[in-house]
Amino acid sequence: MNPYLLIVLLTSLGLGTALTLSSTHWLLAWLGLEVGTLAILPLMAQPHHPRATEAATKYFIVQATAAATLLFAAINNAWLQGHWDIQHMSHPLFTSMITLALLLKLGLAPMHTWMPEVIQGVSLNTGLIVSTWQKIAPFILLLQIKQIHPPLLTIIGLASILIGGWGGLNQTQLRKILAYSSIAHLGWMVLILQHSTALATFALLIYIFMTSATFITLKKCKATTINMLTTTWTKAPTITLVAPLMLLSLGGLPPLSGFAPKWFILQELTQQNFIPHASIAALAALLSLYYYLRLSYSITLSLSPNNLPECLQWRVNYPISTPLSSALPAALALTLFLLPLTPSALTLII
Amino acid sequence: MSYLVCVLLFGLMVGSVGVASNPSPYFAAMGLVMVSGVGCGVLICFGGSFLPLVFFLIYLGGMMVVFAFSAALSAEPYPYGWGNRSVKMYVAAYVLGVGCAWKVLLGKWSGFWGGILDESGELLVLRGDMMGVAAMHDVGGWMLVLGGLGLLLTLFVVLELVRGVSRGGLRTV
Amino acid sequence: MLKILIPTLLLIPTSWLAKAKWLWPTTLLHSFIITLFSLAWLKNTSETNWSTLNPYMATDPLSSPLLTLTCWLLPLMILASQNHLAQDPLVRQRIYITLLVTLQLSLIMAFAATELTMFYVMFETTLIPTLILITRWGNQMERLNAGTYFLFYTLASSLPLLITLLALQNKTGTLSLLIIQLLGPIPISPYVNIIWWTTSLLAFLVKMPLYGVHLWLPKAHVEAPIAGSMILAAVLLKLGGYGMMRMMLILSPLAKELCYPFIILALWGVLMTSSICLRQTDLKSLIAYSSVSHMGLVAAAILIQTPWGLTGALILMIAHGLTSSALFCLANTNYERTHSRTMILTRGSQMILPLMATWWLITCLANLALPPLPNLMGELIIISALLGWSWWTIIFTGAGALITATYSLYMYLMTQRGPVPNHMISMNPSHSREHLLLTLHLLPLLLLVFKPTTIWGSAY
Repeated sequence: MNPYLLIVLLTSLGLGTALTLSSTHWLLAWLGLEVGTLAILPLMAQPHHPRATEAATKYFIVQATAAATLLFAAINNAWLQGHWDIQHMSHPLFTSMITLALLLKLGLAPMHTWMPEVIQGVSLNTGLIVSTWQKIAPFILLLQIKQIHPPLLTIIGLASILIGGWGGLNQTQLRKILAYSSIAHLGWMVLILQHSTALATFALLIYIFMTSATFITLKKCKATTINMLTTTWTKAPTITLVAPLMLLSLGGLPPLSGFAPKWFILQELTQQNFIPHASIAALAALLSLYYYLRLSYSITLSLSPNNLPECLQWRVNYPISTPLSSALPAALALTLFLLPLTPSALTLII
Repeated sequence: MSYLVCVLLFGLMVGSVGVASNPSPYFAAMGLVMVSGVGCGVLICFGGSFLPLVFFLIYLGGMMVVFAFSAALSAEPYPYGWGNRSVKMYVAAYVLGVGCAWKVLLGKWSGFWGGILDESGELLVLRGDMMGVAAMHDVGGWMLVLGGLGLLLTLFVVLELVRGVSRGGLRTV
Repeated sequence: MLKILIPTLLLIPTSWLAKAKWLWPTTLLHSFIITLFSLAWLKNTSETNWSTLNPYMATDPLSSPLLTLTCWLLPLMILASQNHLAQDPLVRQRIYITLLVTLQLSLIMAFAATELTMFYVMFETTLIPTLILITRWGNQMERLNAGTYFLFYTLASSLPLLITLLALQNKTGTLSLLIIQLLGPIPISPYVNIIWWTTSLLAFLVKMPLYGVHLWLPKAHVEAPIAGSMILAAVLLKLGGYGMMRMMLILSPLAKELCYPFIILALWGVLMTSSICLRQTDLKSLIAYSSVSHMGLVAAAILIQTPWGLTGALILMIAHGLTSSALFCLANTNYERTHSRTMILTRGSQMILPLMATWWLITCLANLALPPLPNLMGELIIISALLGWSWWTIIFTGAGALITATYSLYMYLMTQRGPVPNHMISMNPSHSREHLLLTLHLLPLLLLVFKPTTIWGSAY
């Protein structure tokens, strides 16, 4: 891609999210969402592969649908209520409509089916942007609107956690697994959204750290299927050492950062007397843990004296050093060691 | 007047069903022309004349050229019209759906009928919708600039996506 | 507390900076020094039972024997792993030692925690090093399966515990062990009561493991490398017993009727698992099932909640920790020479390794609870405590003791006596390292005969 165009696209990607984040007016928020969607399309279609084009098309259609629904609801709301403020939405029909549109944009459970397909079709770098940066704007909008139907978000959150776990179980493609992981994580955030927005933001932050670390790691080992992971130890020994910890952090095992958002979300839910919801969410997280465990089995825990399901590549140009991979140590540190710091992190957010 | 509105709304429905029933792009584009034209007619009937004019010019002057270009680009040797079996099924399903919705919602949305944009009913130089445009330029100027930026970005994106037969992602069949 | 934790933490730099030649001796010496210091915990001079207090950790007579056992096990694991890691690259040896140290650290913090939440976090923290130990350094392909079983059995049972703890925190405002035993009964509805009781104990009953949810344990034991088996049998299972004793304090008024099915299951499990031992062909599997059977006794003793029961449970946990760890070491000496866990293939080793046969004899006798040993002390106290609770339990405990003796004899006879198979003749002689290892297992066991109050807990 032409570097000038790349700059234009990446700046617009930033601009779109910044516009949405800084707006109080639905029209401007919508504009930001659209700019973000449009800017990423050429990045998605960049590999000139039928699957990439397909992914870009699917992404465009889904995001355009969601944005159109959002615009429609906002206009109708303005007609009936006479204002465009994001934070003062009060009409139940249009609030629900906008919520659903944003959930579609985020890829939550009943509207999640585009997500694995799209992520599978694009390159790992673009996948990283789609599953982290592109989630911020719709999520912040979702934080700002006042929820009218509390069960809606709870049901969708629980369904996402379950489906994110179930869907990833029999996948062999890493990007699809990561897409399902993203669905499950967003489910946790949506579950807590109406009880504590600060916790939801905290969960989003930790999710972004962990997912970035994972995508950059996969990029660094040039792996797109589970079997390709098994030769990581020949390419990046240190990553081989840390990768299972990173994956278990995604799964939310205690001494790692991934446990922190789950812990606080469960605590908030029990405090609000939603103990059944908390139990279901906690146990459904085990489903996702299963595929993280499978990934860590193939990346680290079955090394060379064992039989590998993949041939060693005999001509490789390692180590790859991209600007992105220099961010890996920071992302990894945040993925692994944040749990002891959570009290101060929480005070910063709340 | 209300007969005219009814006819126009009926045309809107027919056009939408024509697009949504999934025929070949030629025919779908025709459905779109119908929808946009009739939609402008509906707006005029409700009293706004400036906005429909702009819509009409932009849609038929700009967008339809692009639609025609795209449709020609992806021309099929054996196009599906509305008479074909699969399309006919969709048409039937949509017509049925619209009928059911009409039956269910008849009389409930009547409150929506009364909103004529220009309340004064007199012939003035400044109409309501034109004042809205002026207000938008005045108050929401930066928003318009940003909107223009978005459209510029769209141009770049479209060019990047469709440029060249071999380089772009989209190709002729 | 820090005077143990910081040296343990510093074992990690030791293992990475030590020269290749001195890697194992240095780490061994370092960990032994830590062990030596940890013995100070056993002397409890405090009136209130709690000593070495700081805001997050403390020891009391219940946790200090387990803490010392944990510290004792690390040098033994390092000793035991030397041979099977000799072929590995140096970096992997260092990683292995680091892993053992991490496990040690989290175990110390789990046993010493005064907050139930911290105990829970540390309880879960032990999972990751153990999982890596089993699945990375195990031998067969089934180890991956074993690791999955291990992780999911534990997590599926302990996530409800987390929610229970959080709910409890809401009700009482504190989860500190120092305070929570002073609170009165917590007012909740009887229906919630049942769920609450079950979820609080299920995590620990699975970790123990109770018969019925024990399937992960034989798998994990069989597939784990020697250090993994040792720490699993000696300390990780005791984490379950320890957690139950701590949680029982809070649940006491509720637990009267609810624990009947669990006691019955535990006692039935003693019989069943020791019967399973009788027809095992796999040596490590036999020892693993023997662990399940002993832990059944411990679970039953804790569930009846009498002072005698708790004392007996603690004694049996410590004694069984040393004994089963020694048995796994013995099994490993056989395994390293014959590369088989099948008992029928490793008969007659008495003729080849006579001194080893002595160790086998002593350890088997300890396993079947021969009189002066703490194993007997524990079992006897548990049996009498259960007898006081209900006469009928003598059927289970008596039969269990009988079958335990039988399978210990079976294990000894199968491995040590009989004709020597031809493929065994060219075996390596035993190393003094292995003798040292077993001495260090059995010496504390014998010494405890003279001063058993160190492991009697606070209830005597």
